[in-house]
Amino acid sequence: MVRSSSLNGDSSASHRRTPSRTVTLGHIQPQAPSCRTVYCNDRDSNMPVRFKGNSISTTKYNVFTFLPKGLFEQFRRIANIYFLGISCLSLTPISPVSPITNVAPLSMVLLVSLIKEAFEDWKRFQNDMSINNSTVEILQGQQWVPIPWRKLQVGDIVKIKQDAFFPADILFLSSTNPDGICYVETANLDGETNLKIRKALERTWDYLVPEKASEFKGEIQCEQPNNSLYTFTGNLVVQKQTLPLSPDQLLLRGCSLRNTEYIVGAVVFTGHETKVMMNAMNAPSKRSTLEKKLDKLIITIFCVLLTMCLIGAIGCSIVTDREDLYLGLQKSDWEYHNRLAIGFFTFFTLITLFSSIIPISLYVSIEMIKFIQSTQFINRDLNMYHAETNTPALARTSNLNEELGQVEYIFSDKTGTLTRNLMEFFKCSIGGISYGCGVTEIERGIAQRNGLKVHEEERSTGAIREKGFNFDDPRLMRGAWRNEPDPDLCKELFRCLAICHTVLPEGDESPEKIVYQAASPDEAALVTAAKNFGFFFYRRTPTTVYVRESHVEKMGKIQDVAYEILNVLEFNSTRKRQSVVCRYPDGRLVLYCKGADNVIFERLADGMDDVRKVTREHLEHFGSSGLRTLCLAYRDLDPETYNSWNEKFIQAKSALRDREKKLDEVFACNLINNDMKQFIISSETDAIREAEERGDQVEIARVIKEEVKKELRKSLEEAQLYMHTVAGPKLALVIDGKCLMYALDPSLRVTLLSLSLNCTSVVCCRVSPLQKAQVTSLVRKGAKKITLSIGDGANDVSMIQAAHVGIGISGMEGMQAVMASDFAIAQFRFLTDLLLVHGRWSYLRICKVVMYFFYKNLTFTLTQFWFTFRTGFSGQRFYDDWFQSLYNVFFTALPVIVLGLFEKDVSASLSKRYPELYREGIRNSFFKWRVVAVWATSAVYQSLVCYLFVTTSSFGAINSSGKIFGLWDVSTLVFTCLVIAVNVRILLMSNSITRWHYITVGGSILAWLVFAFVYCGITTSRDRNENVYFVIYVLMSTFYFYFTLLLIPAVSLLGDFIYQWVERWFYPYDYQIVQEIHRHESDASKADHLEIENELTPQEARSYAISQLPRELSKHTGFAFDSPGYESFFASQLGVYAPQKAWDVARRASMRSRPKVPKK
Amino acid sequence: MSSNMASSSAGSGDSSAARKNSKRPKYSKFTQQELPACKPILTPGWVISTFLIVSVIFIPLGVISLFASQDVVEIVDRYDNDCIPAPARTNKVAFIQGAAPKSCNRTLTVTKRMKQPIYVYYQLENFYQNHRRYVKSRSDSQLRSPKFENQISACKPEDDAGGKPIVPCGLIAWSLFNDTYTLSRNNTPLAVNKKGIAWKSDKEHKFGNKVFPKNFQKGNLTGGATLNPDIPLSEQEDLIVWMRTAALPTFRKLYGKIETDLENGDTIQVTLQNNYNTYSFSGKKKLVLSTTSWLGGKNDFLGIAYLTVGGICFFLALAFTIMYLVKPRRLGDPSYLSWNRNPGGGR
Repeated sequence: MVRSSSLNGDSSASHRRTPSRTVTLGHIQPQAPSCRTVYCNDRDSNMPVRFKGNSISTTKYNVFTFLPKGLFEQFRRIANIYFLGISCLSLTPISPVSPITNVAPLSMVLLVSLIKEAFEDWKRFQNDMSINNSTVEILQGQQWVPIPWRKLQVGDIVKIKQDAFFPADILFLSSTNPDGICYVETANLDGETNLKIRKALERTWDYLVPEKASEFKGEIQCEQPNNSLYTFTGNLVVQKQTLPLSPDQLLLRGCSLRNTEYIVGAVVFTGHETKVMMNAMNAPSKRSTLEKKLDKLIITIFCVLLTMCLIGAIGCSIVTDREDLYLGLQKSDWEYHNRLAIGFFTFFTLITLFSSIIPISLYVSIEMIKFIQSTQFINRDLNMYHAETNTPALARTSNLNEELGQVEYIFSDKTGTLTRNLMEFFKCSIGGISYGCGVTEIERGIAQRNGLKVHEEERSTGAIREKGFNFDDPRLMRGAWRNEPDPDLCKELFRCLAICHTVLPEGDESPEKIVYQAASPDEAALVTAAKNFGFFFYRRTPTTVYVRESHVEKMGKIQDVAYEILNVLEFNSTRKRQSVVCRYPDGRLVLYCKGADNVIFERLADGMDDVRKVTREHLEHFGSSGLRTLCLAYRDLDPETYNSWNEKFIQAKSALRDREKKLDEVFACNLINNDMKQFIISSETDAIREAEERGDQVEIARVIKEEVKKELRKSLEEAQLYMHTVAGPKLALVIDGKCLMYALDPSLRVTLLSLSLNCTSVVCCRVSPLQKAQVTSLVRKGAKKITLSIGDGANDVSMIQAAHVGIGISGMEGMQAVMASDFAIAQFRFLTDLLLVHGRWSYLRICKVVMYFFYKNLTFTLTQFWFTFRTGFSGQRFYDDWFQSLYNVFFTALPVIVLGLFEKDVSASLSKRYPELYREGIRNSFFKWRVVAVWATSAVYQSLVCYLFVTTSSFGAINSSGKIFGLWDVSTLVFTCLVIAVNVRILLMSNSITRWHYITVGGSILAWLVFAFVYCGITTSRDRNENVYFVIYVLMSTFYFYFTLLLIPAVSLLGDFIYQWVERWFYPYDYQIVQEIHRHESDASKADHLEIENELTPQEARSYAISQLPRELSKHTGFAFDSPGYESFFASQLGVYAPQKAWDVARRASMRSRPKVPKK
Repeated sequence: MSSNMASSSAGSGDSSAARKNSKRPKYSKFTQQELPACKPILTPGWVISTFLIVSVIFIPLGVISLFASQDVVEIVDRYDNDCIPAPARTNKVAFIQGAAPKSCNRTLTVTKRMKQPIYVYYQLENFYQNHRRYVKSRSDSQLRSPKFENQISACKPEDDAGGKPIVPCGLIAWSLFNDTYTLSRNNTPLAVNKKGIAWKSDKEHKFGNKVFPKNFQKGNLTGGATLNPDIPLSEQEDLIVWMRTAALPTFRKLYGKIETDLENGDTIQVTLQNNYNTYSFSGKKKLVLSTTSWLGGKNDFLGIAYLTVGGICFFLALAFTIMYLVKPRRLGDPSYLSWNRNPGGGR
């Protein structure tokens, strides 16, 4: 009992410790009892507890709940509720239309949505089934028996083979590897592709073969299932011996086994109780700004509807005349007396009649269009496919496509994102001497700008280049460092590089074939550098690092040295450094340390000021040429100091406080920044302002280091003053994290914001993730402008989520940013395509679609409205019920979708060539009230033309036999004209007419005619007033029909045509001018995709080869990219398509962050 | 599963496997948004030629239809007021509901030769035959087949008479027009053929030939005309015409046709029975004699509309041409670009 209560305390403490967002699935109650006891390998003993099975279900619905739950989901949309209300109204006798008019479109819309839901859920179900039915071997009797995952139970002993996934959360007992370790990959949990080590308790190492394992009878006491991935507390009781368990012994479901033949473990948590499943949560859905504006439009339409109904109701109560004998009004009828009641009921009558003014299929259509846009266009754009990493773009949500076309402020993570995180060892400075003769792109750029001729660096022929290493200096290479002034220092540097890291080697232990598994690319680059300097790190065990050292004593001599690693103090963002204490084979104790310059310099031993100064200069030089820098230091420890420290360390795990001996090497990595340049060039002429963009601007107003608010305020104001006085068009604000802390204070926020908004770019350096998010929401909320955040690392997650649109770079820094993002692209430069091409088009398309919907429904309803005036406001319907109900969902539905998919104002290459066109989206040119008014005018005009022309001209005899049209003949004629005019209007508004336009427009008109032929040709036995029986045939038997059919659509479209012409001629949009400039050019811009992909320039081929290197052996990196979710991961294995579902396991504060080296 | 994975991973060395494993999207014109498309730009040439084409098509059509309309001779005579004896005009409703003789003589003069067939119409104004209460008050199934005689639910208030269903039921049938016209020329009677005035489809399909009027006009309220209970509905063409309800409150209905030519200067005496009460809602009644052309009756609107639109287009074409010649705007003039008009306007 004592034990259990203490466990309870432990687990709750661990909950407090982890600041992760606690998300609990509704049906799991982890409270009682406080701990779980699992009897290993003993199903009978576990029986009474009734642990949950291992089968999982991620479906939203089942057979019984599908209809009620699915319908409920649908009716959360306001438009659907509205139509449900209207449908109910139309069941009452006050309705002028039969219920079918409103029920049919509603059920059509619901049907489409429900089918989509059902389809997705079915896919999910299939995924679940394929997961539940994958097999795992468990111990039964004395042998391994394969069973499906779903039959797995808590307490079972399982055997997992290499590369297999853990079917449940498993207590690690034994492994084929010596020392009871195994390697796991957690890509599905947190997206990190580097391998993690798990270590079994020594006591259980032997339970490997079935004979032995069957003897294992342990009792696991552990915490209740919870969602914290990085904590686990429990005890293993084996033969009355209690052994404490830690997360090191827990293998989580969703991870996979690597580099280990097989392991044996005992199941602890199953199915929905596993940590990964308890972590599953849906990504918060963002709504686009345009959609919010759309809501306003809908509300306006609704107000228009109410006004129309009010006019009708008043009219009706005035006009209704009891003397109209033919209406058969009798004194007993309520209508006879009460005009108010007449008005009241007429109001509702008219609401049902005019309900078609609200475009019911709008939302469904837009959803469909956006879905296709994101899955077919964005995800499959070859321009955004990155061959080197084999990564296409990925739209993780389809809600925000058009938001991409309106972004005004971009927040970008700095170097990492801009440089694609390709790290190369480029320069170093050892003991005050700078090495490395490469020229960075930025240096080249500066030189070019200053008019200097760029002398292309001649490489010594033997220069080694490989992934992560781009260093050339004959003074250091090939052991030449032994002749440098301070070879010992060099040696220590190289050893530090080879020892102080957390890299895991994989593959063959030869310098050519080894692959380093590193948490971040700079670590890999450092180890690679050490290898090239002759310190080849080739093997790691939990306690030892093996380094093959050459050229140490004598040129060409090779020596394998095993360094015993005593302590590793891993990197974290507060310490900003990483240290390793190791013991040389000869017993020497050394502490190696690497980290950010300021933390290292702080800890350097006194003295050697000159070297320190020179090194600082070098650092600044490296920094200004665009390199990331890192400082390395070491200190020899004497055993006593170490022992006393170690005791303290083990006891409290407190921070290391040693002063470190000075060693001043500076290490730098080159930025490969050709990608970034392209974007800056376009953004310089662009309205896009890049906050946090790198320097490179004409003027830089520096505001740094004022830590006191007042001074900061003063400087902010000064800066603003300066801005007003100086006419320089481009200004940048540079502000650092400390300063920002004060600047973000509520009192200064406004000043900062207004200052920032006046700058072309704002650079915030050394800021924490939280500050990034604060700056983002400052602009988002304060400036009410559309913001976009782009980043690649875990530290960008908050920023990505804070912005309107979050973009993750699916590069090398793990997947957290991608998991939190709305769109993922492989390269920063693809942002150009994403915004300027896809975003702009999506915006344009959605605007046009919305406007068109608005227009077509308004036109249709207005004809009805005009008619109401001539029916004594009685609310008589003008059109047949079926015509009205199918108008929206059938006769005018497809062309607008085609418009939403294929509309292009200018081609993709011109979009990129004229980035200024993007401003039209920022200004929201296509969805202003002015545009709405134009469309509304067009709708009024066209409806008047259609209605008045037909009713006026069809008054008398309409054929040679003197016959007269009735109401339904006239209305069908109007409807036909309307269908033609509205459909052809699509062609008039399209800038790019594909054959699909013709097919759908022609098809819609044809569909209407075919429908009319069939519908007018049949009689049914039901009591239907066959008003339109034979009407179309009657119409078509007259010449008059064809004369009107030519006249009316032509006249209605002529108005729009003239308007469009006048607008283009006198007040052209920018895109129209661009169209005109390039009107003779065929759209041949892109036909060369295929060649581009196949022919790599030598440079590209090299970088491709390089990029392949570390990923080759990481056998599943691919999965990390295309499967944000755990379930789809399995599905993709089996070739089942899985709809994306955000299994967002990445969002937690305990995320590992990469060693971040502040840019100088 | 593990074998699957192994093969997919080992692929990087093997080019074919790599291609298979590649996530490179497949090229298609659809996904790359490169579908061949026509990109119409409203250049002056296009606009002017569009206008010209429209005017070239529309003006002749307008002329044709205007000619057709001009051929039609139409005589309209409003009689509702004149057919009330002068003393009774103070209270027309009382007169029309009273028992006094309603016979009335009208004289029409033919101003232009009218070729047969000449159609006789009655025209009602301010009569809301498209009122919601009115339009729905009918039972099509009852009209079609005697089986559905009892389907009268929609027909209120004229659904039954003393519990027995009225055939044809409903307000529309109940208010059947009952003025009658007897025409004579120079004292020789002009035969008015009342056959073939309804649309064939109505006659053959909507009104059954086995359905006979029952209990018609036997309700509490007096309506319009009565029907001969021995003639099936499909032969009651007046009813069929009447029941094809009009779209607007002013409408014409075909009464019959005269199958002799009328010469210029002929006078036609019309003896009409002014029975139908439009006075309570001040509706007008007119008698119309009209010939038809291939395009129908007198219908200047269509021709004028065509001519106007054609004319406007021609004018616009002309105006734009002149404007283009006088003050041309170069196509694709970069100075029209917003960022060239106001530099730095992005702020």
